[in-house]
Amino acid sequence: MFDLIMLALVIGCFALAMAYATLCDHLLAPAGEGMTS
Amino acid sequence: MTVPGWLQIALFAAVVGLITRPLGGYLARVYAGERTLLRPLLGPVELAVYRAGGIKPDAEQTWYRYAVGFLVFHAFGIIALYLLLRLQSVLPLNPQNLPDVSPDLALNTAVSFVTNTSWQSYGGETTLSYESQMAGITVQSFLSAASGMAVAIAFIRGFARRRAAAVGNFWVDLTRGTLYVLLPICIVAALFLVAEGVPQTLAPSAEVTTLEGAPQIIARGPVATQEAIKLLSGDGGGFFNANSSHPFENPTPLTNLLEMVLIFGLGAALTNCFGRMVGSERQGWVLFGVMAILFGLGVGGLYASEASGNPVLATLDAQTTNSQQPIANMEGKEARFGIAASALFADVSTTSSDGAVNAMHDSFLPLSGGILLANMMVDEVIIGAPGSGLFGMLLFCIVAVFLAGLMIGRTPEYVGKKIGSSQVKMTILALIAVPAATLGLTAIACVVEPGLAGLGNAGPHGYSEVLYAYTSAAATNGSAFAGLNANSPFYNLTLALAMFVGRFLVIVPVLAVAGSLAAQPIIPRSNGTLPTDRALFVSFLLGVIVIVGGLTYLPALALGPIIESLQALSGTLY
Repeated sequence: MFDLIMLALVIGCFALAMAYATLCDHLLAPAGEGMTS
Repeated sequence: MTVPGWLQIALFAAVVGLITRPLGGYLARVYAGERTLLRPLLGPVELAVYRAGGIKPDAEQTWYRYAVGFLVFHAFGIIALYLLLRLQSVLPLNPQNLPDVSPDLALNTAVSFVTNTSWQSYGGETTLSYESQMAGITVQSFLSAASGMAVAIAFIRGFARRRAAAVGNFWVDLTRGTLYVLLPICIVAALFLVAEGVPQTLAPSAEVTTLEGAPQIIARGPVATQEAIKLLSGDGGGFFNANSSHPFENPTPLTNLLEMVLIFGLGAALTNCFGRMVGSERQGWVLFGVMAILFGLGVGGLYASEASGNPVLATLDAQTTNSQQPIANMEGKEARFGIAASALFADVSTTSSDGAVNAMHDSFLPLSGGILLANMMVDEVIIGAPGSGLFGMLLFCIVAVFLAGLMIGRTPEYVGKKIGSSQVKMTILALIAVPAATLGLTAIACVVEPGLAGLGNAGPHGYSEVLYAYTSAAATNGSAFAGLNANSPFYNLTLALAMFVGRFLVIVPVLAVAGSLAAQPIIPRSNGTLPTDRALFVSFLLGVIVIVGGLTYLPALALGPIIESLQALSGTLY
C-alpha cells in the first residue's frame, strides 16, 4: 500500500514537472519562441 | 593558521587551475562528436548504445523535447532505484542479510541520487546491500552527473548557435558524457584509490577480535568504484556513514587531495568548455575567475574561523598557560587531516554541490556553519556539480547583463545573444525555485511537531540544522549538518520534495532559456556592447551573486549561525 502511494507521488510530481515545461513553453510563445504552440 | 596549511590550499588550487583548460578542451570535443583519444576504443560501444536504444544520433531535439527526455529518463530512474531498495532483501549480493529499505526512506534515497543530491538519511554500511550500492547508488551517480552535464551543454549551445530550433539530443549527450568522460576518469581514479588502500571487495564484513578480546565487525565492500564516481559526479553519497572521514573512503593525504580535485575537476573544466563553444575562452575564464574569488573568500573565512578556535575555550586559563596560540577547533575533525585540509574539504564540498565530507559540519563553529550555508545558498554557482554549477552561473550572468542594461540604458546582450523579457522570466523562475523550497519547507519544519521532533540541539543551532538540511537538499548538495534526525517520514518526504524542486524545476526553465536563445541570431559586437570579458563585469557579477543570495537568505542566516556566533562571544553555547 505504502509502495503504491510512493510511486503515485513520483508519477504525480513528474506529471507536474511536464506541465511546468509546457507552461514555460507557453510563456515563451508570445515572443515567438515557443516550440509546441 | 600555518604556512603548511596555506600551502595545501594553494596546491589544490594550482592543480585545479592546471587541469581546467585541457579538460575543458576535451569536453568540448566530446560533446561536438569530434575525434578524441578514446573514440577508437569507445566509439563502437557508443554506436551499440544508440542501436540498442533506437537513438538517431543526428536527430536533434527542441528544448521541449530535450526537457521531456530528461524528465522521463529520471522518472524511470527514481522508480527503478526505489524498487531496488525495497526488494534488496531478496536480491543477490546482500552478505549481511540487510532488510528492505522502508518506503519513505527508499523514496528519499531514490530522489536523492537521481537528482545528483546524495542526501543520506541512512548509514550506508548498515542499510544498503552491495547490490543496492553498486546497481542503485553508483549507477544513478553516473547518470545524474551525465544528465547535468548534458543540460549544461544544451544551455551553452543556446548561446553558441544562431537561428537554430534545436539544442542537441539528450540521449546522445547523456551517452557521450557517461562513456567518454565519467567512465574513463572513474576507472583511473578507482584504481588509484585501491592502490592507496580503499577496499574493493564483495566479501562480507570482516569479523575480528580486538586486543581486549572483544568481537568487532569491520564493514567493507565495493568502496573504491563508488568512491570515484561519488566525487567526480558531484554526488557525494558515501559508502559509509562517516563519508570521506572514514579511513576506508579516504585513507591518505594523497587521496584527500585527489578527492577534492575530482570534485572540482569537471565543474571547473566546463567553464573553459563554455568559452570554447561560444568562441571566446576569455568568457570562460571570467566565469572561472568569479568562481575562484568566491571560493577563495569561503576557504579563507573557514580556515581563519576554525583555526581561531572556540571563543569560549579561549577564555580558559589552561589554554593560555600552555601556548600563546589559540586552540583550533578540532571537534568533529580527523586528526590526520587537521584544520586546513578539513576547512578546505568543507569549502570544496559545499561550493561544488558534492556534499562529501571529511569532517563533521555540525561541529564547525557557528560562523563557519554560516559560510557553509552561504556557499550552498548562492545556487551552487561556485564550481557546482558537473553542469549545474555552470548553468547556475550563466543564469546569474543573464541577471547581471539585464541589470546592467537597465542601469546604462543599453539592450542587454551576453556573448552575442540579446537578453529579452522571455529569457529573464525563465531565469527568474529557475533562480526562485531553490529559495522557495528551502525557506518554505524550513519554516514549516520549524513549527510542526514532526519537524521539531528531529532536532538534536536547542536554540539557533537546532534551527541551523533544519535550515542546513533543506538548503542542502534544494541546492542538490547532500551534505548533512548532523545533529538532525532526518530519517522520519516527515523529513524523508519533505526533503525529497526539496530535492525534486531544486533539480527539475530549475532545469526545465534553464532548457527553455537555451531554446529561446538558440533561436536568435548572434549579434556582432559593437561599441554599444557591454564587455562581459573584463574585470568590471567580474566585479559586477560578483555583486549580483552576493546581493541576490544575501538579500534572499540574510534573514534566515541571521536567525541561525549569525545569532549563534554573537551569543558564543558572550559565552553562550548550544
